[in-house]
This record gives sequence, structure tokens and C-alpha cells, in this order.
Amino acid sequence: MAQIINTIFLEPFKGFLGKLAAFLPNLFTSLVLIITGVILAWILRPIIVAILRFVKIDALAEKLGIKHALNKGGIKEPLSLLSGRFIFWIVIISFLIMGLDALKISAIEDLLRTFLFYLPKVIGAAAVVIVGYMAGNFLGRAALIASVNAGMAIAGLLGKFVRFTVFAITVSMALELLGIGKETVLIAFAIVFGGVVLALALAFGLAGKKPAEKYIEQKLEEKGENDDIHHI
Amino acid sequence: MVVIKTSVLSEPVIEKLGALQEADILIGIPSFNNVDTIGHVVRAVQAGIAKYFPDRKSVLINSDGGSQDGTREIVKQTLIQDFQPLLISQSKDFVSKIVIPYHGIPGKGSAFRTVFEIAKTLGVKACAVVDSDLRSITPEWIDLLIRPVIEREFDFVSPYYLRHKYDGTITNSIVYPLTRSLYGRHIRQPIGGDFGFSGRLAEFYLTKDVWETDVARFGIDIWMTTTAVANDFKVCQAFLGAKIHAAKDPSSDLSAMLNQVTSTVFMLMEEYTGKWKNIMMTEPVPLFGFQFSVGLEPIHVNVDRMVNMFQLGLKELGDIWKEIISPDNFSELVATAEREPFSLSDELWTLLIYDVAVAWHRKVMNREHVLKTLAPLYLGKVASLVMDMANNTAADVEKRLESLCIAYEKNKPYLIERWE
Repeated sequence: MAQIINTIFLEPFKGFLGKLAAFLPNLFTSLVLIITGVILAWILRPIIVAILRFVKIDALAEKLGIKHALNKGGIKEPLSLLSGRFIFWIVIISFLIMGLDALKISAIEDLLRTFLFYLPKVIGAAAVVIVGYMAGNFLGRAALIASVNAGMAIAGLLGKFVRFTVFAITVSMALELLGIGKETVLIAFAIVFGGVVLALALAFGLAGKKPAEKYIEQKLEEKGENDDIHHI
Repeated sequence: MVVIKTSVLSEPVIEKLGALQEADILIGIPSFNNVDTIGHVVRAVQAGIAKYFPDRKSVLINSDGGSQDGTREIVKQTLIQDFQPLLISQSKDFVSKIVIPYHGIPGKGSAFRTVFEIAKTLGVKACAVVDSDLRSITPEWIDLLIRPVIEREFDFVSPYYLRHKYDGTITNSIVYPLTRSLYGRHIRQPIGGDFGFSGRLAEFYLTKDVWETDVARFGIDIWMTTTAVANDFKVCQAFLGAKIHAAKDPSSDLSAMLNQVTSTVFMLMEEYTGKWKNIMMTEPVPLFGFQFSVGLEPIHVNVDRMVNMFQLGLKELGDIWKEIISPDNFSELVATAEREPFSLSDELWTLLIYDVAVAWHRKVMNREHVLKTLAPLYLGKVASLVMDMANNTAADVEKRLESLCIAYEKNKPYLIERWE
């Protein structure tokens, strides 16, 4: 009986205690790392912000048009504060990863390995989307201004089209970078883009036949009515 | 012996200059595909030198931007065979001619840089530059542009033309009144294109590192004028009569011209902030030459098209303008667009120009975008001026422009306040 109790309860319990005893230092290390990370992040954030303010990075961001780009994206905080926040989270995530790794649990280790393998792609994709968003806004505005100066009635539509196209291209690039449905994204983009162009062509050619005629006639008439002014 | 140290002149040109050693007068003609008009300009220069400065050693420089239509050949071949019909007691042409391609950014400014380099190298006393598309240039222009430098010790001679009331609209609505308000001198044609200047000023121009900016293009004229005025060089004007040039190049892009001229004006505002902020009074500059009136060729203007462009700008660029123009001025602009008949007041126009200057200075967005959004506003003001001046005589037009200048001067404190 005693042997049965020993085999069924005591041996596993001893084994559990042994594993727990072996795991506790890892857990302790992990907790220490995470808490250190949080404290370090809290200390670093104001220091980083103060340094960046001292070197007048906000004024520089305004000069370079970064502030305007951020405002356009709905971000109102100054660059110094954003950078401080970014560093804060980078420190916390780094220590969290180290902490989880210190647990030495194979399932978590596998998960972390997968996550770390994927992380550069996520960062890359995020960077592509951010740059694409800014480029889309810039090129959309350039197209809008140029088409207004060319006297095109559809200037607003053209500006939006350029902005949407640039943004759509960057999103598809980001998705491809992440490896999400590589061919599917490409084909879907081609279909949607081609569809939009075809729809516009049909709309202009069929439904808008008369306005199109009128527009072209007007343009041809205007050609002969240009000014003789020497502006300079 | 002349020591030649320069970066924009090629070896063959340096050799030619070495042979010339030195000169008293230099006339520069920038060109690019001007085969139809440049022959007349060269003849006028040769006759002008022969008639008014026969005892001075003179050189004519054609700084060409790579013409493919035979412009350079025309310059080389053009020669006045017989001076007698011109009542000039001269038997031969004493003007040395040098035809050279210029280097750098394609544009008039790069062509002028070459002229300045040669002026410095030859140690000339007086220079003049004249456009190659002029149909109304006469030998007297050379006298009027050069003599104030040689005999009265002026450093910069700005042209004073008779132009059609609808001609030179960037000058009339922006550059003349703005420059006058900023630097306090009444220079009527600050971007006229035909100037006289001293060798001393040519050397001073070369000390400035601006040859990779819009100064190398259309910005050169206002840059030369402003640099002379802001640095206290002795400035005057010469009455040249009518300015008639070749038919407008259909490919010339208003937006690009406006962009290059205004960006140069604003760049100079940044450079000379300390100067213009302290100027609160304006004064005329001496005007030389016998004044007369002429009949000018009519100019066709499509006002409806201009107003439509303004309305399109307001509809499509409204959100961008809100970032450039102050809220009060934007509200007034919207009200103006709704008013019948259309009229953009001088008061609002000057405030808009000052808003654009401030937005450019503060870099509220990409600077090129700021300037390019100005084109529809400018066309609105031009349309308004054209309608205002429809029945005006030349004298009435000058009075009308005087009131615009006064509006710029009155609102200058607004600019000063917002600039910092």
C-alpha cells in the first residue's frame, strides 16, 4: 500500500517539487529582468525627451516637414515626446523578451523564436506603410496642385487617385513583406487597380460621352484663347 | 598680364580673354534658340558702342544655353558693314565678340554668371546685359545702360520701360510693389532683364554662392536688383522706351516662372531680414533718359479663364490654403470669390502675399508646394487688375499701381509681426 502511495502520489510530487525548485530561480530571474526593464524604461524616457529637447529636435522636425507629416497622420505630439515613448516601449519589450527567455520553457522559447524571426518583417512592413503614407500625401498634394495649375476640372479626383494609388502600392508591398498571401495580394491589387481604371474608362466613354465631348471641345477652344501676357 | 582663375570658363575662352587682356565695357547677351531676334540685338549693341563709346575697348559676350537653331552662328556672322546710314563716323566695328556656351543649371542666371566671370577677368569698368528676344532695342539703350556707370559712378542701372498695361503682370502685382515696400526704393522694373552695372558690382555678385538655386534660372533679375539695393550700391533707372519682345513661348510655364521669381524674392527676404525690417519709408531713385510715350501693341487677355482658374484653386486647394493663409484672410478670400463682379482688393492681395512669404519662411509645408499654390491666387489678382484697368490710360495705370504699392507699404507691419 505504502509503495502504491509512494508511486502514485509521492514520486510525482517529489518530481514536481524538484522541477519547481529548478524553475523558481528562472522565474525569479525573469521577474527581476522584467521589473528592471520597466524601471529602466521609466528612467530613460524623461532623459531621452530632455536630451532631444535640448538639441531642439522639435524645431528641426518642423523645418524638415516631419511635424506636418505627423499632424496629417493625426499625431499631434512633438517628435521629442514620441521618441521618448518609442524608446520606453523598446526597452520594455526587450526586457520582456529576455525575461520570457529566462524562464527556459520550450513552448515559450519556440514562440519567442518565431516572434523574433517575424519581428524584423513587422518593423519593415510598418516602416513601408509609414513612408508610403507620407509619400502618398506628398505626391497626392503635388498632383493636386499641378493639375489645378493646368486648369483641370478633375484636379481633386486626380490628387486623391495618386494618393490612393501610392498608399495601395505600399500596403501591398508591406503585406508581401509579411508573407501574407503573396500572390493573392498581388493579383487582388492588379484586379482592383485594373478594375478602377476600366470603370473610369467606361464611365467616361459611355455614361460621360457628352460631358467628355464638351470637355475636349472646351479644351480645344481654350487653346485658341490663351493670353498673350508676358508675366515677367 | 591678366591672371585668370575661374571655374566656369573653358580653356578656349580663357585663351581668348588672355588675348584681349582687358576691356572697358562688356555687353552680355544670354540666349537659347533666339535665331529670329538675336541678329537685331547684336546689331543694336554694335551700333550703340560705335556711336556712344568709340574710344572704349568693348567686348560682346553671347552666353548661350545650347541653341540648336543657329543662334550662335548668327551672332558670329552679324556685322554692321556700313555705319554711314546710322550717321556714325566709324569705318569698322571695334567690338570684340565671344560666343560661348555656359555651364551649370540651364537658365538665364547661369548665362549671367559666365558674363560676371568674364567681366571680372577683363577688369571692365561697366557692363550691360540685354535680352536676346528684344525687338525694340536701339543703340541708345547701350548708352543709357552704360553711361550712368561710367560718368556718374552708379553701380546698378535698372531699366524703365513703357509696357502695355497688361504686360509684366508678375512685376506689377508682386515684384515691384513688394521690393519697393521691403527695401524702400522705387525701382519700377526690378525684373526687367536689361541692366547696366559696374565691374565692382559684377565682382560682388560672384562672391555669392547662389548658382545652384532658382537664381540660376528666372530668379537672376530680381536677385541682381535686390543684391544691389540691399547692399547699398548706388542705383538709378534708365528710360529705354517701349519693351517689345518676341511672341511668348507657348511652352513657358507660368507656375514655374512664378515659383522661381517668388522663391528668389523670399530667399532674399531671409538673407536681408535685418535690412528690410528697419525700412519704413520709400523713395524714388534717379531716372535718366528723355521720356516720351509710344503706342503699344494690344495684348489679348482671357479674363474668364483667369477667374475660372482662381475659382478652381479655391475649390480644390482650399484645404492647403488654410495652412498657408491666416484664417481672417482666408474668410475674406472666400467672400471675394462669391462677390459679383469679381474683384480681389489690393488690401487682401497684399496680406495674401505676406501670408505666402511667411508660410514659405516658416516651412509650413514643402516650399515648392507653398509657391505653386500661389498661381491661381495670382491669376485672380491679374483678372481683377485687368478688369479695373480696362479703360485706363498709361498714366491712370501707374496711379492704379501706386495705390497697390501703398497697400503693400501700409501692411508691412503685418509682415514684420508674422515673420518671426
